Amino acid sequence: MKVRDVLHAVLPQTTAEERSRQGAVISLRRLLNAKVRPHNMESYEAEGLPAFLKAHGRAPQSADEVQKAFFLSPAYRQWSAANRAAQEMIWVSVGEPVYRDLDRMKEAAADLINSPSRRGSLTLSPDYTPSPEVADTDIHLQPGGFAMDRGEGDIVAGALYECGGNVFSFGQGAGKGDSKAGATIRLLDERFDGFRPGKMLDIGCSAGAASAAYAYEWPDTQVHAIDIGAGMLRYAHARAESLGVAVHFHQMDASDMRFPDNSFDLVVSHNMLHEIGEEKRRAMFREALRVVRPGGIVLHQDVAIRNAPTLVHEVERSWDADFNDEPHWRTYATANLVEDMLAAGFARDSIMEHDLDSVQNLNRWYAVSGRKAA
Amino acid sequence: MTTRMEALGALLETARGSRPQSLANRETEEVLNITLATLIELAVANEKIDRLERMVADLRGETVESLRDVVYDGAIAEERQEATEALLIRALRILLDPRTRREQEQHL
Repeated sequence: MKVRDVLHAVLPQTTAEERSRQGAVISLRRLLNAKVRPHNMESYEAEGLPAFLKAHGRAPQSADEVQKAFFLSPAYRQWSAANRAAQEMIWVSVGEPVYRDLDRMKEAAADLINSPSRRGSLTLSPDYTPSPEVADTDIHLQPGGFAMDRGEGDIVAGALYECGGNVFSFGQGAGKGDSKAGATIRLLDERFDGFRPGKMLDIGCSAGAASAAYAYEWPDTQVHAIDIGAGMLRYAHARAESLGVAVHFHQMDASDMRFPDNSFDLVVSHNMLHEIGEEKRRAMFREALRVVRPGGIVLHQDVAIRNAPTLVHEVERSWDADFNDEPHWRTYATANLVEDMLAAGFARDSIMEHDLDSVQNLNRWYAVSGRKAA
Repeated sequence: MTTRMEALGALLETARGSRPQSLANRETEEVLNITLATLIELAVANEKIDRLERMVADLRGETVESLRDVVYDGAIAEERQEATEALLIRALRILLDPRTRREQEQHL
């Protein structure tokens, strides 16, 4: 199942002009990513570093100083300013149709959520306060953030996430056939003897793209998914129902799940590690181990920004931390995740790190997995 | 019925957090943002013209290439040239402002 650019009833019905605008933002971001950003290291060497040496009489000694040196390069500053502007224009290009068509979308979502023939379910927890370390930040500049809930029946956070995610990913060079679930299924085929779960959990499911893809690919698997925001989860549930797949969505914190021990055969997370701090990540690792059954697999997939060859590369990749409201970007990029998996209770010989091919482009993914002792 | 203005307003109202700038001063960064946003709107307008050209070509029973290959000369060509020059003056007004030159001359 495609996860990007799929058509369903809860998407905004865009005008030709709105589609043109989104296409233009995709083109701008592709150009910045393919033709401008690759020169950032040259800009550092040619402009930033010499300017820093002249000002301080020595080379930069820390990540903060390397970042200061980057910003002494006019070419880098221009890229940074343009990249920030392009990221903001993603949200303008998708936010206008979302809010313009919101009444119809909410009605469509309510019909799907309340349909007697619905396949999955939605369990919200009105007493739960979404984790502030995620909810209080407009992560990757999504206005209102992942956990925004504007009241009964609201779906804006989910709609923005899916539509903005598509424009973002196509601008990164992702193809319409790209799928993190697809990359994970291929990994299970290649490294885990085609492991197939009877029951699985997707942690930090956001708008439910991967959750729905698992449910589509594995119709006999009971798929559960959690996230922190009601606006995100209503949208994810309605989206899955519109696509005709069964996913059971729950409003829950990854570091404090309400599932009994040994509930799932497979526990996954996609692009979540870089959105949370160390403490929550470690608690989430422990919880994932607790809820997976003996012999079951836990797999956390994320962006391939780890293992930078030099501090300068690491700082260049960390632009998102300061300019794209990704406060935990650098924390994730430099964390010792194998040690965290060990500390959570996985046996050392069950832990593997993976360098994953994308399903349909040249991008790569990182993953770390562990298997609970049988 | 939510208007486009209302939709954009709702979106802008929900954005949170500080806005770090990359360029040396805020005015320059804001001008860059306005320029890039205008570039996107130009792309939108170009696509609209492209759609209309294709529809007109279809209505006229000719190819879109032949529709676009119309060459004007004489008065029409002069009118187009004048319109282009006027557009450039509007866009580059800041470079042509005589007050700037007068101020520079005073410093010489």
